Amino acid sequence: MIELRGVSKTVVSGSEPLTILHPLTATIPEGRFVAIVGPSGSGKSTLLGLIAGLDSPTSGAVVIDGVDITALDEDGLARLRGEKIGFVFQFFHLIPSLTAYENVAVPMEIAGAHDVAARARALLEEVGLTGRAHHYPSQLSGGEQQRVALARALANNPPIVLADEPTGNLDTANGRLIMEMLRRVHAARGTTLVLVTHDAELAAMADATIVLRDGRVVEGV
Amino acid sequence: MIFVLRMALRETRAAWRRLLFFFVCIAVGVASIVALRSVIQSVRAVFGSEARSLVAADVLIATNRDWSRETRDTIDRRLALYGALAQTETAETVTMVRPDDRRPVARMVELRAVQPAFPLYGELTLDGGQKYSHALLENHGVLVRPELLTALDVKVGDKILIGTSTFTIRGVIANEPGRRVGGFTLGPRVLVDFADLPSTGLLGLGSRLRRVLLVRVPDDRIDPLVDALHNDFKDEFVSARSYRGSDDEIGRDFDRAENYLSLVGLVIVILGGIAVSSVTRVFVLQKMRSIAVLKCVGARSAQIIGVYVLQVVALGLAGSLLGVALARGAIALIPYAIGPGTSLLADVHYGVTWSAAGQGIAVGVLVSLLFSVVPLLHVRLVKPSMLLRDEAAPRRIDWARIVAMVVVSAALVAVTAWQAASLKAALVVCAGFCGVAVALLGAGQLLVRAVAPLARTKFFPLRHAVLHLSRPGNQTRVILLAVGLGAFFIIGVRSLQASLLDEFSLQSSSDAPDMFLLDVQRQQTDGVRRFLEDPAHGAGAYQLIPVMRARITGVNGRETTMESYEDVRARGSLAREYEVTYRDHLEPNEKIVEGAFWHGPSPEPEISVEKDLHERFKINVGDTVRFDILGRVVSARVTSIREIDWRDSRSGGFVFVFRPGVLDNAPQTFISPLRGPDRIEARARFQHDLVEQFPNVSVIDFREILENVRDVMSKVTLAITVVGGLVLASGILILIGAVAMTKFQRVYEAAVFKTLGAGTRAIAAMLLCEYTVLGVLAGTVGSIGAVALTWAVSRYALDMPWRFFPGEHLGGIVATAVLVALIGVLSSLDVLRNKPLLTLRAE
Repeated sequence: MIELRGVSKTVVSGSEPLTILHPLTATIPEGRFVAIVGPSGSGKSTLLGLIAGLDSPTSGAVVIDGVDITALDEDGLARLRGEKIGFVFQFFHLIPSLTAYENVAVPMEIAGAHDVAARARALLEEVGLTGRAHHYPSQLSGGEQQRVALARALANNPPIVLADEPTGNLDTANGRLIMEMLRRVHAARGTTLVLVTHDAELAAMADATIVLRDGRVVEGV
Repeated sequence: MIFVLRMALRETRAAWRRLLFFFVCIAVGVASIVALRSVIQSVRAVFGSEARSLVAADVLIATNRDWSRETRDTIDRRLALYGALAQTETAETVTMVRPDDRRPVARMVELRAVQPAFPLYGELTLDGGQKYSHALLENHGVLVRPELLTALDVKVGDKILIGTSTFTIRGVIANEPGRRVGGFTLGPRVLVDFADLPSTGLLGLGSRLRRVLLVRVPDDRIDPLVDALHNDFKDEFVSARSYRGSDDEIGRDFDRAENYLSLVGLVIVILGGIAVSSVTRVFVLQKMRSIAVLKCVGARSAQIIGVYVLQVVALGLAGSLLGVALARGAIALIPYAIGPGTSLLADVHYGVTWSAAGQGIAVGVLVSLLFSVVPLLHVRLVKPSMLLRDEAAPRRIDWARIVAMVVVSAALVAVTAWQAASLKAALVVCAGFCGVAVALLGAGQLLVRAVAPLARTKFFPLRHAVLHLSRPGNQTRVILLAVGLGAFFIIGVRSLQASLLDEFSLQSSSDAPDMFLLDVQRQQTDGVRRFLEDPAHGAGAYQLIPVMRARITGVNGRETTMESYEDVRARGSLAREYEVTYRDHLEPNEKIVEGAFWHGPSPEPEISVEKDLHERFKINVGDTVRFDILGRVVSARVTSIREIDWRDSRSGGFVFVFRPGVLDNAPQTFISPLRGPDRIEARARFQHDLVEQFPNVSVIDFREILENVRDVMSKVTLAITVVGGLVLASGILILIGAVAMTKFQRVYEAAVFKTLGAGTRAIAAMLLCEYTVLGVLAGTVGSIGAVALTWAVSRYALDMPWRFFPGEHLGGIVATAVLVALIGVLSSLDVLRNKPLLTLRAE
């Protein structure tokens, strides 16, 4: 379960403080699919980053499965992400010097998992990229890169998957394919799925929706 | 750990091409260390094993005077007491040799007269497999070095004249025990029978004969015998030393040579290290996103730093192994460079020694590691949130980084101390290196600032070239340092060489004396005068100066008091033998700086002392100095201090000058600086005719010496230029690497420029301008450094006026600029070739 307790984020823009997320309290129960929607600059990605522990809130607490992650240091957060959270970015963020297979294997290797090779191959098969395992990101199309990124997010079988506009950089067909895969994972594994999107159609697939505008919740929660 | 290992492998696979240049820098440095250490260790092994035969005895007892009866009695008593097993005497001197067929040539040689038991150790080898036996020397036989055969155009079987006696050449010396390899010589060695020496007439008064007793004693008696002799002769001019002393001395020389030369290699490795530091910095900057991704999927900072440290160690090791291979290749070429020969150097088995290879590899890996640690710490500061939003990291003092810098600096001093085998030397070298680096960087920064106004020029390529020098993540500083250091070495050394040659040719120009006569006896002075004044011999101006050999045996003065010769000996070089003269005038190159010079003779002994000696040993006006002049004791009062211009010292280079009136009738010989004939044949004939009339007189031809000096200097210059070349090569490698590392920025910029309408030619012009400006700056930085270096060396080390050679500096700057521009543009060719759309899409 993900609990957000009065979480806010303020950054310094020039010399002025700028609040990009006003205090927000919400609970996302285990196994749910929640969409965060809103226009550009409304604070969606910031909220997702706070949930993943990629960023620390200015105030409030993020509690995941009873653990206040705002109290963890960088290494503690890294460990938490390795165990519990898979993240899919809009811009894929694969490591360019590693092949598709290696990109998928890395989180398992960091976690010290066994049978890394078999699992990485199985994940690539799951996203339909068995034949592209030894290609570098620069040799893959955008859709293929995002499928590798999805396989990587699922590598350690995390109970939570966070996706930041995963279809935003893809054509419609590939976007649909990725969305289909995310829903399948959510359904098959009972994964908690938090999806940031612009797309009302995608948001409609979710169990619940949080609508943000100018850093404030205007609907949902 | 598996993750760290696998990631290190994968990263190396992806980045090795880009990092290759930098590890070649490490390889060049490691190769220098390994090659220098190995060669010296190999040579040392031969010298060490042959130390006893090098001095040809267990113990050497030597004097520059005739043995007195008491001295010989004491020595004989000691030898008997310590159970000497064998002894033999040799005598050495320099003299002139000429062929017996009246051809007008003569040559100065180093003559050695030996007895049948010579050598006690080692073997005298002759050319053509001829076996040495003393019978070859008996009855006026002579063995000579091959150089003499060439110089006099004589062969085995011919007759030569030594002094007043004729000798037959019976063989050619290949290798002789007791002769130091590579030492300075006044002429080729000539070996005669000790029994024939008196017949040459060279034993006259004032002759420069050195008598040496070679002794063999049981091993355990060597040191006690030497100690006893030291004690016996502490107040006399007899020296005693064992082969071990010479072994120790040679060993110390070798240690020093090995350690100091390897510091040159270390400097090159450190340059490579600077490159590693720079590449790591850029590498981490380029990898920020990947690092953020790794952190996002659960990697801790320590694990990621571990990945890159492992990578650096692996590449440092690879570079070091490459260095060992390079050293091996270079060493394999040495025998070809030396050529076939019979000298000791040719007997050395050249190869890479294990200890040199081990040290080289250790230094290579350590330096790579140390220089990459600080930039790698930046990994800690990479936030995974950068994947969501570009956000400047807050500027904060990073204490871990500062601590790391201190630890790394200390470790570098430790590595240097280990290599130099001296903490003091390490501190000096590190401080010197930092000083030079800071000066070069400071000069570079000033120059970058000086050219900054060019950024306002209307010429597009130049404007952008100047802007690029200070772009974020630029490599200007590291290129200026590395290439500037190379240019600094080469321009500096070339300027020094030009300066030295200028200095020597100044001395040899005009009508300055260019020949020197030694050992003219008093009764020969009138004859020599007539000879020199005879126009048929073609000599110019000359002087005949009386000289006596003297030693200081005591000083009684205001600041310095030495009771006995033993006290004087304790003051080092003051105890050496001095040539003294007497006269009642100052030479043109002298001036009095304290006291007053005398007029006319006086029965009271007075001396004038040279200024440097006065300052060094605190011998002042009013002090009394006690001399032993060929056994006669003279106590003279110091009445003046003279400053001598040593650059023109051939008529007045005397440290002690006596007032006439005391030594006029003492046993003395004469020397004569003179202007010899101009043409080479006339010079040869002059020497021959003079020696024919006065067989005991030796002639030193300065022109020949100048040629030798030129030869030695060109070799030294070549050696230093090779080192400078290595430094420059490292600089060039760093340059290529720096270009490769920052190419990603250029490729992107070029794509944007192309989209905005810039043609390939404009972009090429921009690159050319950028690297030419960089090259000019690096060359100028090197040139400024070289000016400082030549000034300091001229002023403090060589004691000669500083000269500026604009040609060398200008040439150096232009050559550096051309080189940097050429390499910069060539390494950036794909910046020109890449299609803009592909590049922009990839971004």
